[in-house]
Parts: sequence; structure tokens; C-alpha cells
Amino acid sequence: MNTGSGLKVIAILDYYSSPCFKCILTPEVFIKPHLSVSLSLSLSLCQMDGSVGPMRVLVTGGSGLVGRAIERVVKEGGGREGEKWIFLSSKEANLVSAEETRAAFKKHRPTHVIHLAAMVGGLYRNMRQNLDFWRNNVHINDNVLNMSHEFGVVKVVSCLSTCVFPDKTTYPIDETMMHNGAPHDSNYGYAYAKRMIDVHNRALFQQYGLKYTAVIPTNMFGAHDNFNIEDGHVMPGLIHKTYLAKKEGKPLHVWGSGRALRQFIYSLDLARLFLWVLREYDEVEPIILSVGEEDELTVKDAVDAVVEGFGFKGEVIYDTSKSDGQIKKTANNAKLRKYLPDFKFTPFKQAVKETCDWFAANYDTARK
Amino acid sequence: MNGSVGPMRVLVTGGSGLVGRAIERVVKEEKLLAKHSSDTRAVFERHRPTHVIHLAAMVGGLFRNMRQNLDFWRNNVFINDNVLQAAHDFDVVKVVSCLSTCIFPDKTTYPIDESMIHNGPPHETNFGYAYAKRMIDVQNRALFQQYGRRYTAVIPTNVFGPHDNYNIEDGHVLPGLIHKTYLAKKEGTPLQVWGSGRALRQFIYSLDLARLFLWVLREYDEVEPIILSVGEEDELSIKFAADAVVEALGFEGDVIYDTSKADGQFKKTASNAKLRKYLPDFKFTPFRAAIKETCDWFVANYDSARK
Repeated sequence: MNTGSGLKVIAILDYYSSPCFKCILTPEVFIKPHLSVSLSLSLSLCQMDGSVGPMRVLVTGGSGLVGRAIERVVKEGGGREGEKWIFLSSKEANLVSAEETRAAFKKHRPTHVIHLAAMVGGLYRNMRQNLDFWRNNVHINDNVLNMSHEFGVVKVVSCLSTCVFPDKTTYPIDETMMHNGAPHDSNYGYAYAKRMIDVHNRALFQQYGLKYTAVIPTNMFGAHDNFNIEDGHVMPGLIHKTYLAKKEGKPLHVWGSGRALRQFIYSLDLARLFLWVLREYDEVEPIILSVGEEDELTVKDAVDAVVEGFGFKGEVIYDTSKSDGQIKKTANNAKLRKYLPDFKFTPFKQAVKETCDWFAANYDTARK
Repeated sequence: MNGSVGPMRVLVTGGSGLVGRAIERVVKEEKLLAKHSSDTRAVFERHRPTHVIHLAAMVGGLFRNMRQNLDFWRNNVFINDNVLQAAHDFDVVKVVSCLSTCIFPDKTTYPIDESMIHNGPPHETNFGYAYAKRMIDVQNRALFQQYGRRYTAVIPTNVFGPHDNYNIEDGHVLPGLIHKTYLAKKEGTPLQVWGSGRALRQFIYSLDLARLFLWVLREYDEVEPIILSVGEEDELSIKFAADAVVEALGFEGDVIYDTSKADGQFKKTASNAKLRKYLPDFKFTPFRAAIKETCDWFVANYDSARK
């Protein structure tokens, strides 16, 4: 295709092999930093009523905590007839690379994406490597969002976190407050990279009308987590430490005072909500997915539940020389409750027990 | 032995733009080695700079930003990451990047200062560009924290001068005014100014900015950015700027303010206290003189000027 100005244009045609499809030409000329011009055409699978037909859902970070939970929920009735779910892991594609991301999209041709892949880590690793957390996550996110756009993906649901919110803030925090100030100094690289997903989503909507969105879970836990004690998050860390303390007949050492407050959300509940967001939630602005403020718990409450979950009978010692992290980060789930007033979260003690049982049964293969 | 790198090889990205040309002119008077750049790693390999002044960006006026926030976000994030990462990989001693007061939080107290950049969301009209620029500061801080690199940035207010982009649709306020006044005079039509004329700005002449850039490159040692601007007392209304342009070009027709068009941000007063702490005696070119020089340049170079 030649433009009137004599520019040679390279057309990239992507199409779905399906009996009924509608061709949507979205010619866009964009100038890349190295000043080349390319034109991309994207075709989208459409039916007469405007719906997208059977979904092909690509889940990046598919082998992680949330990815595995979604996989289980889909298998156990959350999926629908004719849907194809693809769980991508870093073994198949390194999403920091634009070429590898493109190859994965070309291979799987998703109509929808649940974007969970990220470089993540606990408090101490973030503090040491803010540059790497910033750059790797920005590249991953740009690659996934950009390829989704290029390949005509109808909807992307990305995953943020309450830890990216402003450090200095009033409580409870809600979806409108994410950009209202600088994040906590310990993980600003990770935090800004995640925030920029929301910026990218809004810009995609403004320029192209795409309704890509994101969710903001609070503290997640469940099977298939990263149970590394040094670098993991609080719940999996507690579970691993209690398991070892019980096995070795030693006291359980908990870092911090135990007084820090958190809202915990079970990965299976989060997965059910992710599917609802994918299918029904129509806003570009992100949505907090969490139990309510009234269900906020102390770390000590969590410790007690884990101790009970394992039947641990030894001593529990709180090492107050270790950091508590943020003492409180209460999130408001009013928007979720407005949409789903009757959604039932799995009772905390039960969810913890299930997770402890899984960990004990899968100790050898669990990530740690 | 004293940690210096010998004679500097300074790469100026965006070297053919408004500020790049001003630096080139100031540098010619000082005989520094400076290069233009239109690419990243290949250029770093070819030129092996010890220092970088990073000016390259996708830029545009109010209306273009409003239409293309995605492009402004993505292209600028890529440019900035390419330059900063290549600089780090090629062991560049110092990078001075270029931010802007237009990236600051929209809801804020005035005057704004260097510590406030991230304190809230930017103005809705150019959030793509604004966040991309803010992330230069994030990356600078992370490079310092993880590798000890002292890459920094400057924050100019409204820049103007020769070699600007004088495109009326997409340009910034002063070059737009200069071009429109030139045409109004030539065609004997009224001068139409977009907005009410009441919006307030601090204007900085590109040659003054260039002199300050060289000082930052050589002497300013902080990672936190520094505002480069005339003081608050020299803030001007758009009407005042329009009057100066009219006078400089000797325009005698009607001046009409089209209040149906957006003013953009009404006010973005920046504090230059940090600059004044370092350089209490720096003299800015008087506004009318700088406007006259710029208008004279535009008239003499109309055919080749970017528009």
C-alpha cells in the first residue's frame, strides 16, 4: 500500500480463522523513536450483534499465584462453552522482550488478555533493585498492552496492587486516589511501573476507545504462591515458617510486632472476581478487589490462623526489631459492593487451612 | 585521579530542536564538542560520549496532546529509556534530561518547586507526555540508588527562541503567536489569539536556557531536578506576550481573543529559588529584546523555519 506522499507502507495483516468475522481497519500511523513509519491493520472477530464470539483468553503470568487460581476456577465451572484459556508462563515467553511477546500473541491470537505477569518481590528485594523493578515491569506492561492493541484484543484486565498507592494518604483508600502522591520509598520502581498501566489504559481509551482496565487486589494468598521466606509476602512467609517450625520442633519467629493491619483476599475468590471483571466490568478506571474494611485483620490474627491451620503447638515469638512495613493500608471495596452486593468471600480460617494443607502436600515442588 | 574524565564528549539528543540549536550556538562560542542524535545505541557506539544532554522527545502543543496521549506516553517512554539505559551501559558520567513545568500536578499550591513533581496527577490534557517526563526522574533516582549514577534533569518553564516549531495547530503559545502575527500582518487580517489572554506563564529565552544547561552539565551535582526559569515576579499574561510580539513585528491590525478556545492551565508559577541559591547573579535576557530577536529570526528565516 502506498500513501500519497510516497511513503512505503508495510501492512501487517492478522486474522482469526473463524467462519464469521468482520474486518475492522484501524489504520494508524505512528512515529517510533527511530523515525520509521509503519501501518498496522487489525481484524477482529465479531458477530452480528457486536459481541466477540467464543473468547480466547491469554493469561500472562499464568503459572503464578493468581494464574493458577484462575485456571482452577475456569476448570471447575467458571469457564464457558467454546472458550479457550491459555496460561502463559515465562518459560514460553519472556515478556520483557517485544519480539517474544509478539510471537506469543501471534501464536495464540487471543481475543482477551488477563495480564498478571510481572517482576515481583518482597520488601527487601524491592529496596535493593528499584531500577530493575521499574524497567522490567514497564517493558512487560508496554509489550502486553501494545501487542493487545495491535492484535485487536477486545479487553485486557491487568493487575495492580494497593502497595502502589500514595504513601501519604487518608484512609480508606479508593480507586480515585492512586496517583495522588508519591508511593512508598521502598518500592517506588515497582509502584510507578504498575501505576503506568492505568495511565496506558486511559490513553488507549482516549485515543482508540479501547476499554482495557485493571484490578487492585489487597494482600492475596493461596496455593501456588511464592513461599520464599526472604523475598515472599507476609502470608506465604508465615505459612512456610510455621511448617518448618512444626517440622523442626522450634519456635515460630514472626517478623514485626504483629500489629500491622491487612485485608487478605483468597486467590480463588480473586480468581472468581477476575472472571467477573473480564466479562462484565465495563469501566476503564480500575476496581479494588478486596474484603471490606470490617474484615481487616492484624498480622497476629493471620499468625493465629496459620498456627491453627497446621496444628502448631510450639512457641510464637514476635521479633519487633524487624520492620512492620506499612502499619495500615485500608482499602475501600465500596465500588465492588455496588456491583456485587452479594459476593461471598471464603471465610478466612477456611482459606488459610486449605492453603496450609496444599503447602504441606506440595512442599517439595512449591516455589520457595 | 581526581575523577574527571578528560575532555568531555557531549552527545546532545534532539540537537536540531529549539533548545539543541541554542546550546549549539552557545557552545560554538565555547568550542565544546557536541553532536546531534537521531538514534540511540548506534549513536552511542559511534560517538562514545562521556556526557549527554537529552532533549529529544515527541512534543506538541495543547491540542495535539489532547488527541494523542497514548503516542506521547509511549514514544517518550521509549526514547527516555533508550537514552538513559544506553548512557548507563556506555558508562556515561552524566546525563542532563529535560522536563517541564507542564508535567507538575494539576491540583497544587503555588509556586511549584522541585520537590512537588509527583505529588498528584498532571493536567488531563497532556497526561501521557507528563507521566513520560516524570518517569525520567524516577529512572534517575533508581539509577542513583542501584548504581550510584548521578543523572539529573532540568525543569524549564515556557521556552521560546529561533529554530522553534512554529506550527500554529500544534505548536506552543509563543511560536504560534509569532507565526500568526507574521501572517496577519502579511495578509492584512486580524490577529486571532486562542483563549482569553489571561493565562499566566513564565517565559525563558532559549539562549538563556542553553547557558544554564551548560552550567548544570558542568557544576550541578544533585540527582533531584532543578527548575530553570525567570522568577515569579517576571510571570506574564498571554496578552502581555501577544502585545510584545505585535510590537516586535510592527503589527497594526486588530487583535481578537477567541474565548471559545481553551486557555490550557491557567497558571503554573514555578519557584526558581534553588537556581537563585546556586546562581544569584545570573542575568536573563530582557523579554522584549528576546522576543524581538526571535521575531527578526523568524522573518529572516520564514521559508526554512519548521511550521
